Amino acid sequence: MSFRDLVRESLRALEANRGRSFLTILGIVIGIAAVIAMTSFIGGVQEGLIGQLGLNASRIVRIGYGAGLSDRDIQRISAALPDYEAVEASVDGYAEVKRDDKTLNVGITGGSPRLFEMTGQAKPVSGRLFTDAENDAASRVVLIDSHGVRLLFGSPDFDAVGKTVKIRGRDYAVVGVFEGQTVAGNDSYLQAIMPAETVRKDFPSGAGDRSFNVVGLAREGADVDDLAERTKQKIAEIKGVTDKDEDEAGIWVNTMKSAIGEMNRFMGSFQLIISSVAGISLLVGGIGIMNMMLTNVTERIREIGVRRALGATRRDITLQFLAESAVICVSGGIIGTVFGYLVSYGLALGASSLGIAGGFGGQEGMAITPAINLQTILLAVGISVAIGLVFGFYPARRAARLDPVECLRYQ
Amino acid sequence: MGPVIDIRRVHRVFETDAGYAHVLHDISLTVETGEFVAITGPSGSGKSTLMNILGCLDSPSSGTYLLEGLDVARLTDDELAEVRAERIGFVFQSFNLLPRMSVLDNVMVPLAYSGCPHARREKLAVSALTAAGLPVDHFDHRIGELSGGQMQRVAIARALVNDPAIILADEPTGNLDTATGRMVLESFHRLQAAGKTIVLITHDPGIAAEADRIVTIRDGRLHREGSPTGALDDPKGGAR
Repeated sequence: MSFRDLVRESLRALEANRGRSFLTILGIVIGIAAVIAMTSFIGGVQEGLIGQLGLNASRIVRIGYGAGLSDRDIQRISAALPDYEAVEASVDGYAEVKRDDKTLNVGITGGSPRLFEMTGQAKPVSGRLFTDAENDAASRVVLIDSHGVRLLFGSPDFDAVGKTVKIRGRDYAVVGVFEGQTVAGNDSYLQAIMPAETVRKDFPSGAGDRSFNVVGLAREGADVDDLAERTKQKIAEIKGVTDKDEDEAGIWVNTMKSAIGEMNRFMGSFQLIISSVAGISLLVGGIGIMNMMLTNVTERIREIGVRRALGATRRDITLQFLAESAVICVSGGIIGTVFGYLVSYGLALGASSLGIAGGFGGQEGMAITPAINLQTILLAVGISVAIGLVFGFYPARRAARLDPVECLRYQ
Repeated sequence: MGPVIDIRRVHRVFETDAGYAHVLHDISLTVETGEFVAITGPSGSGKSTLMNILGCLDSPSSGTYLLEGLDVARLTDDELAEVRAERIGFVFQSFNLLPRMSVLDNVMVPLAYSGCPHARREKLAVSALTAAGLPVDHFDHRIGELSGGQMQRVAIARALVNDPAIILADEPTGNLDTATGRMVLESFHRLQAAGKTIVLITHDPGIAAEADRIVTIRDGRLHREGSPTGALDDPKGGAR
C-alpha cells in the first residue's frame, strides 16, 4: 500500500469514528496545548526582555561610585581592563517645561552616541541619533520619547523631527524620536536624550565632569561577573579604598546577568510545572489512543480478514492501523497547537497587565507577544506523530497477527 | 499448459484442546483452466477448510498444492499475500464489502495491495464492474445503498479486478433470493465463457448442478467426483 493509500484510509476511518476519536484525542490536545503555550509564552517573554534591555543586555555592566567618577577615572578603568569594549559615562539632568497651563517634568539623559548604541535605550523610531561631532560641540539637539511627542505636540503621530523645543529659554532642535518606557497614564513626565556635553553645559548639577552612572560593554565572550569584580577592585584602587569598605564607599558594579538569571529561574520552575502537566496528559492521552485502537481492531476483525484475503500482508495491516493512530494524534496535535497559542495569548495578556514581567527582570508594563515559530509547530506535530506510533504499535501488531481464516469466520 | 489447481494427497489437521481434529484426509484434485467446478458437501464436511487452502489463506498439514505450477507450500506469508492479491479472487457468502467506502473504492482495494499504479486503478475497476453487470450510475454509491444482488456483483467485480487465475466463490448465493441468486450464477457462466476458472463451494445440490463438474466431500474425504448429470467417476476420486 502506498503512503497516499494509507493516508486516505486513515482519514476515512477517522471520519467514521468522529465522535469517539475526538474524545480520545483530548489528552493529546491538552498535552500539546501545554507544550505550545509554554514555549511560545517563554519565547515571548525572552523576546520582550531582549527588546527592552537591548541586544547587548547580557554584556552590559553598570558602574557607579558614591562621589562620582571623573572622565580621567573612566579612562583609567577602560585602559586597565581591556575586556571592556567601551566604557561610557551617562549624565543626568532635569528641567521643567511649561505647556499650556501644565508643568511637564523632563528627565534628561546625556551621553555619547556610543553609549546609546550600546544600551539600545534610544533607538530612534524616526529621525536619528546625534553624532560624535554634535556631542563634542555640545550642540543643542535633543531626542524625545514618543510619549513626550504627545505631551508637547498634542498627538503621538506628530512628526516632531525638525521642530524645536524650548527648555529653560533655549531652543533645542529635535533630531529624533525614540520609543521610551514611560507608563502610558503619566501625563506630566517625558524623557529626553541629549549629548553629554550639552547636558553638562546647559544643566550643570555642580558635579563638574564627575558622572554617577557609567556603563561598560564587555567584549563578546568575556566573563562578565569576573569583569565586574575586577572593576570593583580597580575603582577601589583608584579611589584608595580597601576591599573591606567597598560598599560603604559606595562602589557598585551591577550586571544584567543577575536579572537574566532571575528570569531563567522563574521560567525554569514555570517550565517544570507545565512540562509535568504536558507529560502526564500526553501519557494519559497515549493510553487513551491505545485503548481506542484496540477497540477499533476488535470491531474491524472481519475487515482485517477481508483485506488479508484480498492480498494485504501483515505489514500492510500494521501500517494501516499505525497510520490511523498517527493521523488521529496529529489532528489532536493541530487542535492543541491552536489552543496552546490562545492560552499563551491569555497568559501574555495577564502577565503584562498584572506587571508580572517585573518579577523576572523586565519593567512594569512590558508588552509580551507570544512567539510563534515554525520550530514549535514542527515539535508539536513531531510529538503527536511519535505518540501515535508508540501507542498505536501494540494494537496494530495485534491486528496484523490475527489469523485471516479466524477473522473471516468472526461474526 | 498444466492445470490451474493441482492438489495432491492433502491433509489438514487442527490442534484443538480436545486433541487433533483431522479435517481433510488425503484429498487430491485438479482443476483445468476455464473449468467451472462445484465443491459440495454437508456442513462440517471440510469444504470450507479446502477452500481456505485453495485460497492460500491456510496451508495443508501435508501434501502439495500447485497453483499454476507454483508450489504454494514453500511460500512465505508475504508471498502468499501476493498470490492472493494477484492470482485469486474471493467471493463470499456475506459479500464482505467495506461499508465505509464507495462501490468503486471497494473494487480498487485489491489493486492497492497488488501495487497497481494509481492512474490505472479506476479504469480497471470500471471495467470489472461492467463485466460483473453493475449499472454505471451505481459506481459511486455507498455499499449500504445497494441491494443484496448488487452487492454480490460488486464483490464479483472486486474478485475480477486483478485478472486472477481462479475465482473462489464460497456460497455466493447463500444470502440471496432465488431470482437474484440465478442472476449471480449467470454472471459466473458469463465469466466462464470469457475464459475464467471458477471454483464454487455450496451445500445446495441445485446450485452445484450449474457447474461442469461436481466434487463432493464427506467427513473430510473426497466422496465422489462426477458430472452434474450423475455419471460417476471412481468413487475415491482424485487419482486421475
